[in-house]
Amino acid sequence: MRAFVYERPADVEQAVAAVAADPQAAFLAGGTTQLDLMKDGVWTPDRLVDITRLPLRGIMVEGQLMRVGALTTMEQLAAEPAVTERLLMVREALLAGASTQLRNMATIGGNLLQRTRCRYFRDPSVAACNRRSPDSGCAAVDNTARMHAILGVDERCVALHASDVAVPLVAVDAQALVAGPGGQQRHIPLTEFWVRADEGPSIEHVLTHGELVTAVDVPLLPAGWRSGYLKVRDRASYEFALCSAAVAVLMDGDLIADVRIALGGVGSVPWRARQAEQMLRGTHVDPVRFEQAGRATVAGAYTLPGTAFKVDLAVATLTRQLLAMTTEANS
Amino acid sequence: MTAVQARPAGWVGQGVDRVDGPHKVTGTAPYSGDVTLPGMLHAMVVTATIAAGSVTKVDTSALLTLPGVRAVFTHENFPRLNAGPQVAFGEAPPAPLQDGRVAFHGQEVALVVADTIQQAAEAARLIEITYAPEAALLDPAHGVAEPLPYLPDTRRGDTEAGWALADVRVGAAYTTAENVNNPLGLMGAVAAWDGDHLDFHDSTQWPVNVRKTLAAMFGVPESGVRVHAPYLGGGFGAGLIPWPYKMLAAGAARALGRPVKLMLTRPQMFKLVGHRPDTEHQVRLAARHDGTLTAIEHRAVSLASLDKPALGLLTAATGQVYACPNVATVERTVRLNRRYPSAMRGPGEAEGNWAIETAMDELAYELGMDPLELRLRNISADRHPGSGLPWSSNALTECCEVGAEVFGWARRDPRPSATRDGHLLVGWGMATAFYGAYLPVSTARITVYADGTAAVRTAGTDIGTGTYTVLTQVAADLLGLSPRQIDLQLGDSDLPDAAQSGGSGLASSLSAALQDAAANLRGSLLGLAGPDSPLRGASPDEVTCRDGGLCRTADPSASTSFAQLLADGELTQLSAEGHTRLPDSAETGMHQAGGFGARFAEVAIDPMIGRLRVRRIVTVTDCGRVLNPKLARSQIIGGTVGGIGMALFEETVTDPDTGRVANGTFGDYLIASCADVPDIEVLFAGGPDRFSPAGTKGAGEIGLVGVPAAIGNAVFHATGRRLRALPITVDQLMM
Ligand SMILES: Cc1cc2nc3c(=O)[nH]c(=O)nc-3n(C[C@H](O)[C@H](O)[C@H](O)COP(=O)(O)OP(=O)(O)OC[C@H]3O[C@@H](n4cnc5c(N)ncnc54)[C@H](O)[C@@H]3O)c2cc1C
Ligand code: SF4
Repeated sequence: MRAFVYERPADVEQAVAAVAADPQAAFLAGGTTQLDLMKDGVWTPDRLVDITRLPLRGIMVEGQLMRVGALTTMEQLAAEPAVTERLLMVREALLAGASTQLRNMATIGGNLLQRTRCRYFRDPSVAACNRRSPDSGCAAVDNTARMHAILGVDERCVALHASDVAVPLVAVDAQALVAGPGGQQRHIPLTEFWVRADEGPSIEHVLTHGELVTAVDVPLLPAGWRSGYLKVRDRASYEFALCSAAVAVLMDGDLIADVRIALGGVGSVPWRARQAEQMLRGTHVDPVRFEQAGRATVAGAYTLPGTAFKVDLAVATLTRQLLAMTTEANS
Repeated sequence: MTAVQARPAGWVGQGVDRVDGPHKVTGTAPYSGDVTLPGMLHAMVVTATIAAGSVTKVDTSALLTLPGVRAVFTHENFPRLNAGPQVAFGEAPPAPLQDGRVAFHGQEVALVVADTIQQAAEAARLIEITYAPEAALLDPAHGVAEPLPYLPDTRRGDTEAGWALADVRVGAAYTTAENVNNPLGLMGAVAAWDGDHLDFHDSTQWPVNVRKTLAAMFGVPESGVRVHAPYLGGGFGAGLIPWPYKMLAAGAARALGRPVKLMLTRPQMFKLVGHRPDTEHQVRLAARHDGTLTAIEHRAVSLASLDKPALGLLTAATGQVYACPNVATVERTVRLNRRYPSAMRGPGEAEGNWAIETAMDELAYELGMDPLELRLRNISADRHPGSGLPWSSNALTECCEVGAEVFGWARRDPRPSATRDGHLLVGWGMATAFYGAYLPVSTARITVYADGTAAVRTAGTDIGTGTYTVLTQVAADLLGLSPRQIDLQLGDSDLPDAAQSGGSGLASSLSAALQDAAANLRGSLLGLAGPDSPLRGASPDEVTCRDGGLCRTADPSASTSFAQLLADGELTQLSAEGHTRLPDSAETGMHQAGGFGARFAEVAIDPMIGRLRVRRIVTVTDCGRVLNPKLARSQIIGGTVGGIGMALFEETVTDPDTGRVANGTFGDYLIASCADVPDIEVLFAGGPDRFSPAGTKGAGEIGLVGVPAAIGNAVFHATGRRLRALPITVDQLMM
């Protein structure tokens, strides 16, 4: 591993300034992504700015809004009673992710900013990776893509955004609170936080260098809503999604009064399925309609031999989860 | 007589706790990676990023100016080595860094040595290597198939005639994926030279072979090479071959005149210490309406590297289980620019079993017969179907019957996709298992002391399977001592030579060697008996070791303590060696048996999203005498979990255009997690084997065999979909 400078800033302002001033600097939170990338030689910053002592840990609930400090760990958020009561799909997504050990280290801010798991991205001996080195090509497209995206991608990059918790967060229109250089603050809706790979494979999100996520504002689901997260993966635990569906519904008898949907495991960004939501709002529970909504969501998929199965899997995962959320029998 | 009544029947057969457990849980058991020597340097291997060609230039000058970097070895400056010796099942691949030729992506092409491992790793990251790439042979379709090193093609009867005679026939192709052993303990070595003497701390399952190989390759006397491997963080076969990393550690240490530690990284564990290769099978089965098999034909291929053929053994078990008069096997290995294959738990036979036992299930459905019934009708229970000799033991029928009973097989609705649980499809499948006999010769030494304790020594290793514990139990019974009075040392090539901990043969081999050593010891002790000793005139067969002394078996009161015998002989200790004495198969008129088993699995599948869960497994094994039920159970559970992994998860993916391992981390290469492993009911059947002197047949590998086919057959029963390629994944299961 290459030598680097390690810093522990006293406050948010210092942290932001330290990273903003040095193009080769990076924030360090739980380190479960950052240190792996450094050990593998994928990304070797000269300066690590450790933010873990900053006062950004903790959860505040005020009315319909939950503010989650960026340093809150995945386990802490999963254990929050408001999440269990009003956002079950967030809890389920968190607990379906990584392992207990990792979740005790990993922070929510870091989770949103985790880098893709693409095997070619993560091996610097592979030359062709547009995400790592612009205009070098894409080794995944040429070889064996499987844990890759089919939506928001093209032949330049098929990298998946692998976060689970980001999927329900996108579904409820959560926002990131961001601190920038010079004391600037801004709110970024998570639906606009990430950049699709087909809009530029080497840019992953809209943060400028040095901007720090300080918290995530998460609207709680109003009373009467029901939500859940279904994750389909190659083994039962400790594995990323092949496809996942976060679904929240408000039922009025047999009628879907309102619905929020996002898919994971299929997009270069956590995939909000607005068209599916529109197709289902005000309709009756109907598996055929569910499937049509799924088909509409994956209509523009870009697939490779190894990822082609994800088209049908996405439709099936969404249908299965809609059935589970809308029919009493499956609760 | 009360003392005699209180005596336990024997330590063998009891679920004694691991004697090495406290060392392991307190972190005091020294693994090779724990060894630190004064002045020791650290080495990091650099691996090739092309699959074929040669290294033309390595820019080392910049690296040598980095802090702590002591040397960079390439083919230009690494010591020249001799070829390794010919060793059955244990031959080294070509010596590393001799000529710059690259035969696979990931091959060792340089070695950086530095004061710390961090410095070595950083230099290895920065090293710049220029290659002259050549066209790589990566597509199996273009490889040349050649015969296997250890297994000829076989033919019994006339399969064409058997085929013609049949009422029902099935034939299909089956495949298994490359799996990698990847024990949790990273493999590596610490090498320290003193002149021509080499002390070598290694992760090996076969210290004696490492001693022999290093001595030959470095041209030094074998008597001066000492290999230590008291503990191993698992092996599953990865430690059977003298891999090139060993020569790299020893060569660097010799060139630099300082001890060198070389530990492989986790990604390197996917490339440099062997694997279970991809295999492809063509199977044809034919039977009469009543299920009687009339022909078995098995053609199989395993992929291999250019410089090392595959072990094969895919067809080794094919003709041994069922009483079919017509059997033909043809097996090949195809050489490509790929990593060195080797043995992985149940090598070859596990893959062959997947093909044969899936085909048997297909045949059962074709016949409209219960799959268990088809097996029971064809099992050759009394005699080996080839040699015609009676088996030395075979409880396969009992395995099937006991397993079926415990599993509740009789309640199975035979129709595919007929059993449901809500929206889940439930399936029950079964398979038989066989793992060939392997009983190599080892030596062991027993020394008794005047205080009534004994030392037991052999070079064999305990790779986590429990060798320390079971040999202590065996020795305790042979010497009439309690396990606490026995000091057992293993894993040191200066101790009496022992075979590899492989082929599930070491416990049997060493137990037999201890029996022989104990007999020799009794003889020597009798020779010491003074004129007044009640043992005077007895033969070694008439006496037994008991309570720190020797007594007449027929009259235990006629006894003399070890202390007295040693004093009579004016000795402070007495040693005896022994070796594995095997009965002659022809003389005894029996066919040496391997392990047998029956596996029953229940799966539940959500066909919409392709989600499969193994709900329960019942596994019944005949591994001969069970030395320690707790440890044997652990072995079977571990094997079963490995079998679940082989069935559903494990697959090393090789990039088709570069030959690179695409998923060489534990994040990307999936093994079964705890959540994937259901309750496993472990049962044993049968009794002591008549051929094996200790009655044992080995429990290390048989547990894995048959599990993939039982799961695959359960998938068919659940869904009606016959899947013939492992691993079985979500995309294959979606309906
Ligand atoms: C083996 C393994 C399995 C995993 N499985 C899953 C899974 O199933 N599902 C899942 O969702 N995730 C999974 N993960 C990913 C894991 O959740 C993330 O690594 C983790 O959430 C990152 O959080 P961290 O605090 O460790 O971030 P770090 O590693 O410290 O940081 C990650 C990145 O974000 C930047 N960063 C961190 N915090 C901030 C901030 N507040 N503002 C701006 N930038 C910041 C860092 O500079 C770095 O680039 C897995 C990870 C591993 C290693
Ligand atoms: S998919 Fe994207 S991240 Fe992966 S190799 Fe291609 S460009 Fe790189």
